[in-house]
Amino acid sequence: MAIHQNCEGLLRRDCLKLGLGALLSGGLTGALGARAGAAEATSRKTSCILVWLDGGPSHIETFDPKPQAPAEIRGEFQPIQTKIPGAVFSENMTRLAAISDKLTILRSVCHNQNNHGAGNHYMMTGAPTRIPVSCGAFVSFHPSMGSVVSAERGAPEGMPPYFSLPSMTRSGGPNFLGAKHAPFVVSDDPNNKNFIVRDVTIPQELDDGRANGRREIRKRLDQFIRFHDRAAADPVLGADENYQQAVSLMTSTAAQKAFQIQQEPDSVREAYTRTPLGQRALLARRLVEAGVPFVTLNDGGWDHHSNIFPAFKTQGQKLEAVVATLIEDLHQRGLLETTLVLVMGEFGRTPQISTLPGSTTPGRDHWSSAISVLVAGCGTPGGQVVGATDSRGYAAVEKIYAPENLASSVYLKLGINPDKILYNSTGRPAHIVSDPRPIAEIM
Amino acid sequence: MPSRSGSVVDCFRTAICCALFGCILLSAGGAAADEPAQPLAATAAVTFEADVQPLLTRFGCNSGPCHGKSRGQNGFALSLLGFDSDFDYAALVGEARGRRVFPAAPETSLLLRKAAGQVPHGGGKRIEPNSPHYDLLRQWIESGAHRTPADAPKLVRVVIEPATRSLAPREKFSLQVFAEYSDGHRRDVTDAAALQSNDKTIAQVVDGTDGLVQAGPVPGEAAVMARYMNFIAVCAVTIPLPGDVSPAAYAALPRQNAIDGLVWDKLQTLGMLPSPLASDTTFLRRAHLRIIGRLPTPEETRAFLADQTADKRDRLVERLLERPEYADFWANKWADLVRPNPYRAGMKAVWTIDSWLRDAFRKNMPYDQFVRELLTATGSTWQNGATVIFRDRPETVEIGSSVSQLFLGVRLECAKCHHHPFEIWSQDDFYGFASFFARVGHKGAGLSPPISGGEEMIFSRPSGQLAHGRTGVPVPPKLLGGDAPQIGPEQDPREVLVAWMTAPDNPFFAKVMANRVWSELMGQGFVDPVDDMRATNPASNEPLLDYLASDFRQQGYDIKKLIRRIATSRVFGLSSVPGERNIADTRNFSRYYRQRLRAEVLLDAVNDILGVEEDFAAMPAGARATQVWTYRASSFFLDTFGRPDPNQDPPCERTSESTTPQILHLMNSPALNSKLANDAARPAKLAASDATPQKIVEEAYLLVYSRPPKDDELQGALEFLTKGENRRRAVEDLFWALLNTPEFLFLD
Repeated sequence: MAIHQNCEGLLRRDCLKLGLGALLSGGLTGALGARAGAAEATSRKTSCILVWLDGGPSHIETFDPKPQAPAEIRGEFQPIQTKIPGAVFSENMTRLAAISDKLTILRSVCHNQNNHGAGNHYMMTGAPTRIPVSCGAFVSFHPSMGSVVSAERGAPEGMPPYFSLPSMTRSGGPNFLGAKHAPFVVSDDPNNKNFIVRDVTIPQELDDGRANGRREIRKRLDQFIRFHDRAAADPVLGADENYQQAVSLMTSTAAQKAFQIQQEPDSVREAYTRTPLGQRALLARRLVEAGVPFVTLNDGGWDHHSNIFPAFKTQGQKLEAVVATLIEDLHQRGLLETTLVLVMGEFGRTPQISTLPGSTTPGRDHWSSAISVLVAGCGTPGGQVVGATDSRGYAAVEKIYAPENLASSVYLKLGINPDKILYNSTGRPAHIVSDPRPIAEIM
Repeated sequence: MPSRSGSVVDCFRTAICCALFGCILLSAGGAAADEPAQPLAATAAVTFEADVQPLLTRFGCNSGPCHGKSRGQNGFALSLLGFDSDFDYAALVGEARGRRVFPAAPETSLLLRKAAGQVPHGGGKRIEPNSPHYDLLRQWIESGAHRTPADAPKLVRVVIEPATRSLAPREKFSLQVFAEYSDGHRRDVTDAAALQSNDKTIAQVVDGTDGLVQAGPVPGEAAVMARYMNFIAVCAVTIPLPGDVSPAAYAALPRQNAIDGLVWDKLQTLGMLPSPLASDTTFLRRAHLRIIGRLPTPEETRAFLADQTADKRDRLVERLLERPEYADFWANKWADLVRPNPYRAGMKAVWTIDSWLRDAFRKNMPYDQFVRELLTATGSTWQNGATVIFRDRPETVEIGSSVSQLFLGVRLECAKCHHHPFEIWSQDDFYGFASFFARVGHKGAGLSPPISGGEEMIFSRPSGQLAHGRTGVPVPPKLLGGDAPQIGPEQDPREVLVAWMTAPDNPFFAKVMANRVWSELMGQGFVDPVDDMRATNPASNEPLLDYLASDFRQQGYDIKKLIRRIATSRVFGLSSVPGERNIADTRNFSRYYRQRLRAEVLLDAVNDILGVEEDFAAMPAGARATQVWTYRASSFFLDTFGRPDPNQDPPCERTSESTTPQILHLMNSPALNSKLANDAARPAKLAASDATPQKIVEEAYLLVYSRPPKDDELQGALEFLTKGENRRRAVEDLFWALLNTPEFLFLD
């Protein structure tokens, strides 16, 4: 237990030594046990809503159009003016252009992981995959941002700190932080009339007394041995954490209320658009209001190897309607100051338009050298574009930032020190982010 | 079988695979300012393939995000990791009007000026000017930028020395990488090879130039990979648990069969000691759940406990292998791997392949025959279920990479577009392998998603070869790491392939299945993922995997005999409780690893315990979850606990981690609660019977935990049962409580 305290203010190298000493002397159990519940209670009540565009949205069709480039790069869309002096968006981003005074667009985030599995991991966790993986991979080598926030921040009693709707992203899991910090997935569609979050309420035919009685006798009879040393990686500990979380959720009125999206006036529900994504964004806002620090909206279908232009006309406009409404709504409620909104995917798309063999409609392929990210809220200055790509959109050329810097910025905004060392189940140390420098322009 | 592994499925269905591969090597070998001890080719002429191309890999020039990307970078494209020498030579020497390589004034060559950062370069400075590597490149250009002569000795192998190394925590050592050539000569290429550890916390490459590797602070194992040209070698680094265990302690460990000795050998290298044997009831429950996927009944448990014979565990395994549930349980695992998406292949095809699988396991069809019947299937997709794999994967390249992964553990899909980045496989290997399926003929109703209901005939055509993805040239069938056999028009190339796969000297075939079955019984494979076997993903116990593979082969590829061999080892019967010297073991089988019950087994267990039946769509009354043949038989329970869904693209993997929604479902789901309260269910019947409270508690424990209650548990349960007035409600609540504990949810 002393290790954690001793680590404060020491060099990384010293921490490694201490970690090793603890392991060899058998003190690992206590040390790690103490760390397990080490949520930082002192953090500000800030939250993040991550709109994850799975597949990798084009930077050129969103926030980094190249009107001067040749047609095979420029694409079909025209640029439109924004409220940011000198900056243009692609024509499908009209509503976001109209509120661009509230946004920062990062145009020069880039990394070197050009397949979905690895790119998703890098952007979702701020760490590259430890070993190379292929594009189909669902991998986890490092905790996702949501899971770290869950571990470091926690949530008001009864609420899971990390939600993912309607499914977990590929690398959105907790890795060594354990099942307790896996996202709480709400797969049901809040756009359905009878939306409820299944199983979170006690069956109607049971009264509270009987439900309590059940839990009491369960507790009395649960004598299965647990291996508390985390190095043993006992999966039962994860199930115990799940059970505790389940009971809190069932008994918390705040949580139960947050799920009742039907309490929103029709005008608000319409404004968010009556689409699954729109209503999930509205639910995310309700969750943030209830104190949830991290919500991921996992929106698929952005891997436009083909058919990119028709797709952006429909899909792109649907998306921006939801995002613009979310940001405006947060702003009107005074929540934008404490809520970070991020819109991004695993990478951008190749500037050169191409047509796949067997396809007739052009698209763009994977491109990790130039990624645009939308950032708003939580102290992010509005009305700016940070960084730039070259005239044809191939490479980030100024103010180049890596996923590490983006993740560090998110953590700092959520009151978490990205340079903090976490320990995995065998006592191996890992920094939350290997490069803890944030993106200065958004801090 | 535990997972329909991510890449099997998604790379088939992803339109574009990862041609644009991530840069793994940029950070692998250290900085550009390395100082090699001596130039690589001090004595011989400097030539392209032998000297220059390796440096393009070493310094990351031909990596995925840089010039190795399929469209190159800034107009300069190299083949990914140097798999195409002709292409690379042409790019450097032939293109750009000689500006890249300019022998008249070597220093002005763009190759040098870009790499040394003397002109703006997107990749920054990769090589120090006037460093030995720089000098080598200059020397090559100066001497006329020659290719390595075609008759020059060929690179045949790369080796790392030492191949294995045991280290104390934080200890350093230097490894060496040697290239071996066809003329028998050998040279040290340590400073030109790209080095990478698969676990940097256990062992880290400190300095790529002199092969310096350092152990991390904690015990464990890591593989350090060296890539030189298209060859890979691996050094296995072990950091044992500090403290001495006497050899006598290992000699004294019991050995029920050959498996045990090989596990103890491995534990000895790590300084670990195994846990003791699990109790009879734990073993009974484990063997039932692992071999037939259902719980023992109270009668079976009582009989097993009463049996005093010494070989009762072995006889239990024998009995279980003859149970009818065996076939459904194991066929269900294979369905995870080959069951098609009904929206693509049609419902009837889903049904025929499911029936075929169940029939194969009912007959205990030898595994070589199983694979032969699948891979050489002909006939109607409505009649012969084995043909459905060709309906599900109609493209030659799809079926090729599927077969290599499922049955050989070789993931070839990367090599579809470029040389495999961490394997020896090239595009030629990929197209040569897939070409065995180029003569598969399809006739009748093809796929026309979303509804593909029709019947299709699968047959072998007299000719046909797969066109190479890059060159477009038809590629004759070629065996992995072997020859291109002559195949006449009257022969089915698939027969030739299967004969090679199932031959006794095939290095992959038996091993992959042995690893799968081991993983199914032990909760974890030697190699994980189970079908990703490569030098850079080494098995945790190679000798034991080799033994199991050879034993499986010698026993005629009899799957039941393989299961019997594993289930009658002492290792299978070990307790899951760790001791002081194996607390951190999660890979070496020094103890049994706990695992949550898989979705179908868990649902069947709930129903068996409560004495109720599930009502599945498209199934007869009384059907069990392990018998369900399509995911379109909806079940929120099965979805919550995770069954792979072939309608998702890609389908989710089957994972065994527990989640809060699962726990909530067991606690609160209306379906489960109505089963508990059902008038015809076990709680109601027990409550209505004249059984004493003690008898009810004992029955509940035998049903849910497969063991009698301990005194203290009995006491607690009795107090609960007798304190209220409503006996039936109390019995229901007791069952609820037991079903919601980890002892039920987990296989121990």
